[in-house]
Amino acid sequence: MNAHTTGVARGERAPAPASQVRIRPAYDANASGPSVVNMWQRGVPVDEKLWTPSVIALLVVAAVGIVLAIYRLTGNLGSVSGMTDVYAWGVWKTFNVMTLTALGTGGLSIGAAAWIFGRKDFHVVMRTALVMSLMFYLTGLLALGIDVGRPWNFYHVLMPWKWNVHSSLLEVAVCMPLYATLFLALENLPMLGERLWYYGSNETRARLTALRRPFRGAYPFLIAGAYMLPAMHQSSLGALLLLAGPKVHPLWQTPALPLLYLMQAGICGFGFTIVTLMTSCLVWQRPLDLKVIGALGDWMSRLILVWLGVRFVDLYVRGEVGRVFTFDRYSTLFLIENAMVFVPAVILRSRKFARTPRIVFNMAVMTCIGGMAYRFIPTTVSYDPGHQFSYFPALPELLVMLGLIALAIVGFNLAAKLFAVLPAPFDSWVEAVEWLEVERHQAEAKSHGNAAHD
Amino acid sequence: MKLSRRQALRGAFGLGATAAVATGAARAESTSATESEQPKASAPIGLLYDTTRCIGCKACVTACTSANGLAPDSGASEGLHQMPQDLNSRTKNIIKLYTSPDGSERSFVKRQCMHCAEPACASGCPFHALRKDPVSGVIGWDGELCIGCRYCEVVCPFEIPKFEWDRFNPKVVKCELCRHLLDAGAAEPACTAACPTDAVIFGRREELLHDAKGRIESSPGKYHQNRVYGEKEAGGTQVLYLSHVPFARIGLPVLEDMSLPEYANRYHRIIYQWMALPAAVYAVMAGVIRARWKKHDHEAMEIERAGGPMDQL
Ligand code: SF4
Ligand code: SF4
Ligand code: SF4
Repeated sequence: MNAHTTGVARGERAPAPASQVRIRPAYDANASGPSVVNMWQRGVPVDEKLWTPSVIALLVVAAVGIVLAIYRLTGNLGSVSGMTDVYAWGVWKTFNVMTLTALGTGGLSIGAAAWIFGRKDFHVVMRTALVMSLMFYLTGLLALGIDVGRPWNFYHVLMPWKWNVHSSLLEVAVCMPLYATLFLALENLPMLGERLWYYGSNETRARLTALRRPFRGAYPFLIAGAYMLPAMHQSSLGALLLLAGPKVHPLWQTPALPLLYLMQAGICGFGFTIVTLMTSCLVWQRPLDLKVIGALGDWMSRLILVWLGVRFVDLYVRGEVGRVFTFDRYSTLFLIENAMVFVPAVILRSRKFARTPRIVFNMAVMTCIGGMAYRFIPTTVSYDPGHQFSYFPALPELLVMLGLIALAIVGFNLAAKLFAVLPAPFDSWVEAVEWLEVERHQAEAKSHGNAAHD
Repeated sequence: MKLSRRQALRGAFGLGATAAVATGAARAESTSATESEQPKASAPIGLLYDTTRCIGCKACVTACTSANGLAPDSGASEGLHQMPQDLNSRTKNIIKLYTSPDGSERSFVKRQCMHCAEPACASGCPFHALRKDPVSGVIGWDGELCIGCRYCEVVCPFEIPKFEWDRFNPKVVKCELCRHLLDAGAAEPACTAACPTDAVIFGRREELLHDAKGRIESSPGKYHQNRVYGEKEAGGTQVLYLSHVPFARIGLPVLEDMSLPEYANRYHRIIYQWMALPAAVYAVMAGVIRARWKKHDHEAMEIERAGGPMDQL
């Protein structure tokens, strides 16, 4: 049900022949004046072939990872990973789950800004954040499934009477799949519904319209849950390290870990949504809405400053400030890690810089790297069980990790082409819908023609 | 002398077992009363190891291996004899030798699970695969419940649980205080039974502690810091150590008195108590969002009625 039916391939659309169909709505999106309306007004699918060379290249990387993952699942953990009894957690948990889901927290941070703090201008980038979150969470769950040694016992997650409710890991194990497969999936459902509606028959449309009302009725309660759950498990990911106690260096080991982990996820959520939006606009040559991007950067910068505040107050309260400036391995890491988020926070406070695309992009990338460093370091680098051992992932382990990341990118890429994910000006949407109508007409005409032949 | 003392200990444990039955009723009370989520064992049993008595014969190591049906780890000796380099998935118990750089100070040390009073491993284990026995306090592993997440390895402050990295169906391997032998009626675990010098003995924790303190008292200065390691470390352990060299040198970590579960769950417990706070936060969020949603929904429908595009969620 796409462009192939009409012989017009994806990515080859000329502007719709205006004379043929006129469905441009009487409604004028800009009627209320350009001051309230952003340039980005609606999600519009990217008009490009699905299977581009880069998608295929990424799929190859993903396939390598998946084959190795299957090999791991039919064999053992030792032969494919660098994990040992001393470093019992490797990159699948510490990077794919504990670090990358922070980048996938856009669904929480942007959603909360939009719906709880009333930032209506963020609605237009919600879908980008939601698809991104879904991809990171789903691949994170796959990583968890590959990582556990006795996955066949995981069904206990469905039996609350077997839960150890005091375990942070239990919280993660229950919350994360629930969030990804139910709440995030439902949040992403309107995109699917919309596609079905535009491509569907009148019957499909009627059915979808009937479903729309109850869905919209439940929506506020759904998204409140969709903000509650990640807030819980993103903080629990930090709480996981509390129980490791003195094995985690005192610059990182603090009762504030859950709060810091959660806030850092929020920061990365903003940061990576900016990165995704700007990269997509660059790759698919779409206009950039600097107002929205700037506002996202502003929120990110404020959050970073609060986060740094919490972090240093905590160090002061625990009396560990002295360790910051010892300039040993850990203090250096700590300083770099904080600088990676502090610099962007300060630079984005400047209105001028916050409107310069290149700077916003670089600052967002820097924040994401700093945020990922914060989430990763205490799990591995400053996790020191006091042996002469160190951990470095084995090659197959790395390939699985990369494969899962590639899978997430492919997922996002295809979603951006199939669904109205990425924001665009109103006109592009009108154009897309007009083309759709042209295609529908042509398809209809063709089927009528076929019928006549029979 | 030796025999009689051992018999005395056995007798003591027999008494302990009787006491355990008697205190069974008190248990329910104690579990609900403790501020920690782990039930406190009503009649904790354990080991006492004394470095000054150990001659490094490793009889306990081989006894442990055979009592637990493990394949001896002979990798380092090219298959000649059991020679584990550390605790591992085939070694629940090991004797190590510490020698100071100038060779003037040396000590053997026996390592196995400490059977913590408030075990980090069991506190973190998502499905109670590692669980503290409410009577004996022994931390045992249940393969029916374990998902193989290895969180127990990450959190154990003594680096005890080991994982079978080379197996499709991996087990978590650690000393379970020979609970299978004790359940079958044995008087003591394999390692204490095998020890020719009573360097490691078995009994009820309070009696072992009493014994250890007696040894310190009768020869002050003989033992490091004149104290028992495990009395208070990380909330206390059921395996106790007396050492003539500093504990850290024989691999016993310096730990705070507060147990790790207590540290980790201090705020967690408040936040998640009866899920009250999450529920309240949810209610507030849902309220705010619903108010905004109503407005949004109204506006969106207006636009659609005016011939505008469908609302995108
Ligand atoms: S020593 Fe480690 S494995 Fe043994 S009970 Fe304590 S925390 Fe658990
Ligand atoms: S590996 Fe097994 S025993 Fe250890 S924490 Fe995970 S589920 Fe529990
Ligand atoms: S109690 Fe049993 S399992 Fe534990 S070290 Fe002794 S012999 Fe080994």
